[in-house]
Amino acid sequence: MSAAGIDAILIAALLAPPLASAVVAAAARRRPAAGAWFNAAAMGITLLAAAVIALRVVSGRGPVVAGTLWRLDALSALLALLVSVVATLAAWLGPGLERGGPGAETTAFRVYANLFACMMLLAVSTGNLGVMWVAIEATTVTSALLIPVRRTPAAIDASWKYLLIGSVGIALAFAGTVLAFVDYASSGGELELALQWTTLRAAAPALHPEVVQLAFVFLLVGFGTKAGLAPMHTWLPDAHSEAPAPLSAMMSGVLLAVALYAVARWKVIVDVAIGSAFTDTMLVVVGAATVAVGAASLLSQTQYKRVLAFSSIEHMGLACMALGLGPLGAFAALLHLVGHGLAKSVAFLLSGRIYQRYGSADIGAVSGLISAAPGTAILFAAAVLALAGLPPFGLFLSEILILQAAWAAGHVWLTVLVLVLMLLAFAALTTQLQRMLLGRAPAERGAGESPRAPLTVLAVPMVLLASIGVVMPAPLYDLLTRAAEVLRP
Amino acid sequence: MDLIFSRLTMTGASAMLLVALAMMWRRHVPAYISAFRLQSAALAFVGAVVAWFGDVPELFLVAALILALKGWIVPRILTRMEARRPDARALQPLVNTEMSLLISGALAVAAYELSRPVAEVVNLPTRGGLPLALALIMVSLFVVVSRRQAIAQIVGFLMLENGIALLALLGAYGVPLVVELGVFLDVLLGVLVMQALVPRMESTVAR
Repeated sequence: MSAAGIDAILIAALLAPPLASAVVAAAARRRPAAGAWFNAAAMGITLLAAAVIALRVVSGRGPVVAGTLWRLDALSALLALLVSVVATLAAWLGPGLERGGPGAETTAFRVYANLFACMMLLAVSTGNLGVMWVAIEATTVTSALLIPVRRTPAAIDASWKYLLIGSVGIALAFAGTVLAFVDYASSGGELELALQWTTLRAAAPALHPEVVQLAFVFLLVGFGTKAGLAPMHTWLPDAHSEAPAPLSAMMSGVLLAVALYAVARWKVIVDVAIGSAFTDTMLVVVGAATVAVGAASLLSQTQYKRVLAFSSIEHMGLACMALGLGPLGAFAALLHLVGHGLAKSVAFLLSGRIYQRYGSADIGAVSGLISAAPGTAILFAAAVLALAGLPPFGLFLSEILILQAAWAAGHVWLTVLVLVLMLLAFAALTTQLQRMLLGRAPAERGAGESPRAPLTVLAVPMVLLASIGVVMPAPLYDLLTRAAEVLRP
Repeated sequence: MDLIFSRLTMTGASAMLLVALAMMWRRHVPAYISAFRLQSAALAFVGAVVAWFGDVPELFLVAALILALKGWIVPRILTRMEARRPDARALQPLVNTEMSLLISGALAVAAYELSRPVAEVVNLPTRGGLPLALALIMVSLFVVVSRRQAIAQIVGFLMLENGIALLALLGAYGVPLVVELGVFLDVLLGVLVMQALVPRMESTVAR
C-alpha cells in the first residue's frame, strides 16, 4: 500500500473510534453497559493509532498527511498521543463498566466525553488553523454539557461560567485568526489554503508587524482563556472541581495542553514574521503571573479537587512561560505538558474514588486514607508528589529544565521568583496531602479496595512518569526533540 | 462602482455598531433580542453586498445562513427562554447608562486607533468599515462583562461573533467556507446548550 494510503488509515483510526463510541452509546441508550464496553475497546484502536503515528514521525519520514485538512507533524503527534492516553484512561475508568451495573449518567458521559475527545484529537491533527479553532470551540460545548450531570446548583453555575467565559474567550481567538487571515489575504496569497499552518508560515515574512502583533494579542487572550492563564482563569477551579472525575481528568490533563498547543502554533507564525522577542515577552509575563496565581491559591483551598484545579493553573503557567524561553524552554514546556497530563489525570481519576469512599469533597472530611485504602492512597500520593515536582517523576526534570532555560535567557529575577513559587506550591501540596493520608480512618466506612482493577490501570502512567524522570525512553525523547524543533521559527 | 460598494458596506457596518450602542440604554431583555435580530439582518445585508460587488458567490449562501440562523432561529430560542423566565424585571447592569455610553464611546475611539494598522494594510474598497467592526467587538465584550442577566450576556456574546464575522467580510471577503460553516455550527450548539442550562441556574448572580 502507498504511504499516503497508510497515513489516511492511521488518521481515520485515530479519530473514528471516539466518534463511533459516541454514536454507539447514543444508539444503545437502553443498554448503557454495552456502549461503555464498546467505548473501552474502541479507545484501544485510537491509542494504537496515536502510537504508530508517533513512531512514524520519529522515524524521520516527515509529517503524517492526508489531503489538505490533515497534517500531523511531531508536535501534533505528541499531543495526539497524550490526548489518546488520557482519553483512554477516562474511557476505561469511566462510568458503566462497574460490577453493580451502569449508573444513570453512563450514556450522557459516553456520548459527550467521546465527542469531547474527538474534538481535541481533531484540533491537534488538522493542518488548518481555522478548523483547529472550530474544534477547540467545540470542546467547550461538549465538555460543558457534562459538568452538571449531577444537577447540583454549584455544578450548573460552574458549567454556565465555563461556557460563557470559554465561548467569549475563544471568540476573541477567532478575531485574532481573522486578523491574521486578513493580513495574509491583503498581501495577495492564495485564499483557499490561507489558513493552512504551512502556507501561513511560509508567507509569514510578508505579513505586517503591527497587524501580526494585534492578532497575537487576541490569540493569546483567546486560547489563553481556554488554557487557564491568568487573569482569564476564573472559570477553571469551578469547572474542574464540579465535573465528574473522568471528565476533570480530560479537561485538566489534556484540554489545557491543547489550548496551549494552539498558542504555540500561532507563536511560530508570529515569530517568523517579526522575530520572537514580542511573543517571548508576552508568554513569559503571562506565564509567570499565572504561576503566581496558581501557587498562591493552593494553600487556602479546602476541597481536594480545587487543589488539583489550582495546581493545573500553576503548571499551565510554567508551560506557557517555558514556551517563551527559547529552544530549551520549548522542549521543557512540551515535557512539562506530558508530565502534567499523566500525573493530573491520574490524580483526578483517583479523586473520584476518594469521593466515593468518604462521600465528601472536603479535605477536612478525608482522613486516614493510607490505612483505609492503601492502594488508592499510594497512587494518589505519588501523583500529587509528582505534581509537587518531586523526583523521580518527569515533572521534576521539566521544572529543572524550565529554571535552567530562564537562567540561560538571562532572567535572573524570574528564575528566583519561579523557584520560590515552585517551593510554595510544593509546600502547599504536601501539607494538603498529608492531611488526607494520615489520621484515623472513619470506622463506619470500612477498609479495603474494591474494585482493584482501576488501580492496576492507573499504576501504568505513574510508572511511565517515573521512568521519564530516571531514564527517558528514547522514542519519547526523539518525539519531544522533533516537536520542539517544530516550534523553532 | 467601488464608491457604491464602499458606501453600502459602511452603511451596514454603521447600523450594526449603532444597534449595539443603542443597547446601552435599553433595560429589558426583549429589547436586547430585537436589537440582535436587527444587527444580524444588517450583517446579512453586508454579506450580500460583498457577495455581489466583490464577486464572491459563496457569500450569498453565508448571508442566507446568517439571516436564517442569527436573524431568525437564535432570536426565537432567546425569546422562548425569556418567556420561561420567572421574573421579567428590568435589567440591572453593573454599570449605569451614562457610564456605559461613556465607556463604549471610549472603546470605539480605542478601536479606531487599534485598527489603523489593519486598515492601512487592507486595500479593498470595504476597508473603511474595519474600525467599526473592531469597535463592535469591543463594545460587545463590554456588554458581556457589564450585564449580569444570562440572556443579556448571551446576546453580548452573539454580537461579538457578529463583529468578528463583519471583520472577516470587510477585511478579506469572508473566511474559507469550511471554517465559516464550522463557526455557524458552533454558535448554534453553544446557544442550544446555554438555553438548556440557564433555566436550571439557581444563583441570582447570572439570572
